[in-house]
Amino acid sequence: MNRNTYSILVLFCLLFIGGLSKTPAQALDISSGGAPTITGALSGSVSGSSSVLNDLSVTVNFGEVSPLNTNNIVKVVVPIAIRSNRPYRVRASLTSSTNANPQAVQTTDIGFGINNFRAMGSNSRVCLLSNHIIFSPFNNDPSTGVTINASGRAAYPSDLSDIAGNATILTGPRLSNGGGARATNDGYIFDAILAITPQFYAAGTTTAVITFTISNGPAAPC
Amino acid sequence: MKGLERTFPILLAIFALLVALASTALSQTTTGTVSMSATVSKFVELNSGGAITLTGNSGGGITTNGTVNNPLAAVIDLGELGPANTSSFVTASVPLKLRSNASYVLSLAATVTSSGSTANEITAADVGFGLGSVVRSGSGVNTTGTDTNATSGDPTLGANGSVNGTTGRYNYTAVRSNLGAFAASTTVLSGAFIMNAVPRSNTNGLTVPAIFAVKPQFYETGTTTVVATFTVTAP
Repeated sequence: MNRNTYSILVLFCLLFIGGLSKTPAQALDISSGGAPTITGALSGSVSGSSSVLNDLSVTVNFGEVSPLNTNNIVKVVVPIAIRSNRPYRVRASLTSSTNANPQAVQTTDIGFGINNFRAMGSNSRVCLLSNHIIFSPFNNDPSTGVTINASGRAAYPSDLSDIAGNATILTGPRLSNGGGARATNDGYIFDAILAITPQFYAAGTTTAVITFTISNGPAAPC
Repeated sequence: MKGLERTFPILLAIFALLVALASTALSQTTTGTVSMSATVSKFVELNSGGAITLTGNSGGGITTNGTVNNPLAAVIDLGELGPANTSSFVTASVPLKLRSNASYVLSLAATVTSSGSTANEITAADVGFGLGSVVRSGSGVNTTGTDTNATSGDPTLGANGSVNGTTGRYNYTAVRSNLGAFAASTTVLSGAFIMNAVPRSNTNGLTVPAIFAVKPQFYETGTTTVVATFTVTAP
């Protein structure tokens, strides 16, 4: 084997490796879907990238949720972008602090729903043979579905306790026309909505982390 | 030319490596996170528990009544407190409503100012005071919570006062049964958290009547002003 042949083999190997590293990254992707927003908060905040080209990493501080906050509800909207070149599934899972005191904030006290599924742009794949499905009970805006249960506590159509077991929230057919790196127009966006009603909770602090994961989904012809 | 032939594959290899690295740098990800936190501070609230009841008065009346679930800012004219008033007591019962998400302490500080100049003027000791029955009821209320009433209850009860055998003046003798005990802010009621985790729009809570009483006597003529300030805290 002369030097040129050897070099060409190395070249193909590297191109192959390059191709390998790229192909799976194009297949399934989740990222920020835009700037998150918060309303009704007292000393609360939300931070996250406004660019759909950046990873999804949002920090929500609901702020004060005792009756010191006189708003009816604290609502956070987190836009999430998803891209794929195949059928997909989006799961949500929860890691949270535990409050042994039943009067403290529990996972059932934070409403969680998704809605407003929409195309990002011209390279969003439009599939006519399958639908994008928001799984029950998550297809709602929890801030508008608040009810008072028998004990007088606020309740929601769906809440964080519903994703304690890594729940599927969304499935569907291929999302993207493109095959390259993230673009601003090559997938779909949905809103993850979080809501908490200020109540006479026991004093303390509460933390929770939702992890959204996109993976191969059930067969969904496009 | 031969040198270029040799260098070209190497350049291509470097290019391919850069492509591979670039695709890694732009690589998409399959997970994203939303981290959340929330704070609940201690909260206590004192409001009017409803309309005031004034009994035994001669003249006078309720100038500014209490309105349930609104801030307490009542004004009462007890009327005539001399012997012209033949009632045993002039009594004002002021309903209080407390709500909290933590243990609470209700305190009272009172001032009594009379226009007289002798020992026969109305003093703080002549204004009986006590808290009546404490009631925790309704949806969303911690009905198993306990409360400690630091007063002796209705000051007009026989057990809480009597005519002084020496001076002949009526005295409220029980523990914290007159406003003389509240020249400085003093605890009148304390207890466990009142509300379970329910919204503020739930209007239930703990109610207790604050009872003020004056026995008409041969006081020095003049006018008297009583100001009672209740404060609830969550220590």
